[in-house]
Amino acid sequence: MSVKVMITSLVAYRGGVGQLSFVLHRLTGLGILLFLVIHVVDTSTVFFFPSQYADAIAVYRSVPFMVGEIFLVFSVIYHGVNGARIAIFDLALVKKWETKSQHNSAIWTLVIAMVLWLPAAFIMGRNVLEKLGI
Amino acid sequence: MARVIDLRRNREVIAWKWMRYSGLLLIPLAWGHVLIQDVLVGVDRIDLNYVAMRWAYLGWRIYDLFLLVFALAHGINGLRQVVLDFVPKKKNIRLVNQAAFVYWLVLVLPGIAALVGGVRKP
Repeated sequence: MSVKVMITSLVAYRGGVGQLSFVLHRLTGLGILLFLVIHVVDTSTVFFFPSQYADAIAVYRSVPFMVGEIFLVFSVIYHGVNGARIAIFDLALVKKWETKSQHNSAIWTLVIAMVLWLPAAFIMGRNVLEKLGI
Repeated sequence: MARVIDLRRNREVIAWKWMRYSGLLLIPLAWGHVLIQDVLVGVDRIDLNYVAMRWAYLGWRIYDLFLLVFALAHGINGLRQVVLDFVPKKKNIRLVNQAAFVYWLVLVLPGIAALVGGVRKP
């Protein structure tokens, strides 16, 4: 599969909520990994270069990153809820694997993730506004 | 002619299962970490002293060790799966697998060293 085929298939392939959750799962997973790799390196400085730690995490305190952090938290929540859905169906409910149950559970996954994310987004959003002096 | 594969010994089957097991384990670990550090404490209050205070408790170091090892393994195996969707040749698949393992080692070893060694005050 080429990259072009993948991008066109995002639009053209059967679509719907099932494909949306597949794409969201991959994007949030890759996004979390990107941050995780940076985060392992910055935290390692507390042992290897402790005087550099403050500089290493200074970027996290900037407003653009704090906004990005709100989306990072959404990614971690959504990836977890959707991953639990996949794991439960694959490990325990194999016989319930039907188009309809997949469709319904994918929608519920989005709802649960939003409900869990909104309070966190509110608290973190307030911190951003405070930093901006609003 | 049908090809018979012993599913119990197939490495991809083991990886498939472990993506589910490690994923379920990471839900309390990663959510707990994000809730405490990102939402309740916040980046503005995290510094060298904060890390030293947290790591003064052996329990938090063990928590972080599990999070480090499993999150990186889960994430890098996920990246491997995405990359392999674009790599059809068997020879290249091997190369991707080896690169993924090396990538995991290169990150997890300094991480473990920092967790064991702890915060060195400058």
